[in-house]
Amino acid sequence: MNNKIPNFVKTNQFGLLILVIVFICIFSFSTDGFTSRFNIYALSRVVALDIMIGLAMMVVILTGGLNLSLGALGVSAAMFGGWCMESMGIPISITIILVLAFGSFLGWINGFVTVRTGVHSFIVTLATMSIYFGFMTLLTEAEAFRKLPEAFTDFGSLKLFNKYISPLLIISVMTCFVLYYIFKYTDIGRKLIAAGANPDAAELSGISVDRMFIYCHMLSGFLAALAGIMLTARIGAAIPSMAGHLGFDWLLPAFLAPVLGGTLLSGGKVTVFGTMLGAILVTLINNGLYLIDVGEFWVRFFLGIILLGAVLLDRAREYFTVKNSIVS
Amino acid sequence: MSALLKKDWFGLGLVLIFGSILISLFKPAFISPFNLYVLMLSVSLMLVVAMSQMIIIAIGQMNLSVGAIGGLVAISFTGLMEVYSMSILPAVLIGLLIGLACGFINGYITVKTGISAFIITLATLYIFKGMNLGITEAQPFYEIPEAVKFFGNAKIFGPIPYLVIIPIIITVLMWILMNRTSLGRYMLAYGNNVQSSELIGISSTKIVIYAHVISGLLAAIGGMLVVCRLQLGTPNIGDSWLLPSFAAPVIGGAILAGGKVDVIATAFGVILVSIISQALVIFKIDPFFVQIFLGFMILLAVFINRYREYREERRTKVFSDE
Repeated sequence: MNNKIPNFVKTNQFGLLILVIVFICIFSFSTDGFTSRFNIYALSRVVALDIMIGLAMMVVILTGGLNLSLGALGVSAAMFGGWCMESMGIPISITIILVLAFGSFLGWINGFVTVRTGVHSFIVTLATMSIYFGFMTLLTEAEAFRKLPEAFTDFGSLKLFNKYISPLLIISVMTCFVLYYIFKYTDIGRKLIAAGANPDAAELSGISVDRMFIYCHMLSGFLAALAGIMLTARIGAAIPSMAGHLGFDWLLPAFLAPVLGGTLLSGGKVTVFGTMLGAILVTLINNGLYLIDVGEFWVRFFLGIILLGAVLLDRAREYFTVKNSIVS
Repeated sequence: MSALLKKDWFGLGLVLIFGSILISLFKPAFISPFNLYVLMLSVSLMLVVAMSQMIIIAIGQMNLSVGAIGGLVAISFTGLMEVYSMSILPAVLIGLLIGLACGFINGYITVKTGISAFIITLATLYIFKGMNLGITEAQPFYEIPEAVKFFGNAKIFGPIPYLVIIPIIITVLMWILMNRTSLGRYMLAYGNNVQSSELIGISSTKIVIYAHVISGLLAAIGGMLVVCRLQLGTPNIGDSWLLPSFAAPVIGGAILAGGKVDVIATAFGVILVSIISQALVIFKIDPFFVQIFLGFMILLAVFINRYREYREERRTKVFSDE
């Protein structure tokens, strides 16, 4: 315990921060255009979404579960928003509230079924993934909503801070702070963590674990819906295939960010800023791979390798910290 | 009779028989030879995929990379024959070897690091799929030997395709493995309770690696069967396997926590899913409904299994004999 190194250095957020800085250095020296205004702006738009998706997954991982339906849910909510704005002519602000409520409702379904059946959320969300996506495709007939209000699409292409940063990134960073506050300082946030860390103990101390798990799934649905709206604003249209078939394109960033950020898959631990750094790292690497020109077909391969490397490194770090703490 | 009632596959079997009779009463086209042929083809392909997932469910894990392994093997198999003009047998063997290697990687990393198989196979899913796309650059291989095409197309007699032979053999072998060999029982014991299985001397390294290797081999066979069926090797083979691979074992009553799988029930699960998909097509229902339906089927199966467990719990409070 009489170590001179401050605690912060030992956390994996610190390791991530170093990695992010190292990668920024590598990419800015080795490639042209990484630090260009255009590229940084593009990065900020992508990273905003990855952070939000990562957070949406993180709050379910907190319960020791998973949410495979994340992408399908987000796209369904976004399509619902597109329908509200284009077909029903509902004002933007009300639409956003409706979409977020809709996302939370879909999340509630996930949570309710998981809690009531006692089946792992993996299988529940696997089923709801295909149900949500199927209904969405059926109802929209796979048609996109392209005539969205200009005020909405303009927001997505707005450039702030000397045209470097997208306002979407500010939303994501603000969400991080709000979540950090909730988990750190509020009663409900601590109950959520307690329920995830040790359900039996939490139940004994008077926390309704089932309700907490449902809240986590609702929060996940809320954040996924928010990500869906942000993606719609970024593209300027609500397109059924914008997250790939069944929303699968969201899955890798969704797991990468929290896992890199040090969220335990067994539940009971959240790292909001770790998830943020994880998402930044993923976006950086993804962007860098394209700039280095590894060939777009190999990008997926490298992302897989990086995920594998990240979890192995994390394992090694855990192993050594355990070993060190035994010695001291 | 009461022993029969307790089996997982019994209820499913009844549903299958009555369902088929009902559908064919409404639409006689359902039992036309052509339709049966199509049905058998889809059952045979999904059977192999479901078995590949089932063996991993048995040890209480999941394998997201089943489709990616199948796709990688499919394009390697066709690529070897087209680009390197290799003959069929060595190409099949190399395909199997690739499946074996992929499975070994999954199992080895999972058991040596203790990281959840979900994350490991998510990573390898991207790695295998990335290799697939990197090699093919998303272009399919079209040059397939006639013998392979024949195997995928021809019928033994009546509506029965040659393609069903291998899946049936695999199902029988899997049944023997899970019910009659010590390896299969060790796997179930491991899936049931990792700690206690280690206490009675079961090597978890061996069990996990064996299960993943078998899963990889089956995924490889599935990939090559799809090549026979489609008569070409496209990079997107295996992309749509994830949902059905879990649907069949879950509908067949496998508990996802591991330790309980039923080969016959899984096979019935596959047939049920295929019949429903087919029936929806015959009744001219929007194909997107098939997906929604599959989702609801999984949820329904989950609820039924939960209910049965609940009843079982109440009954076993008073010890009763078999």
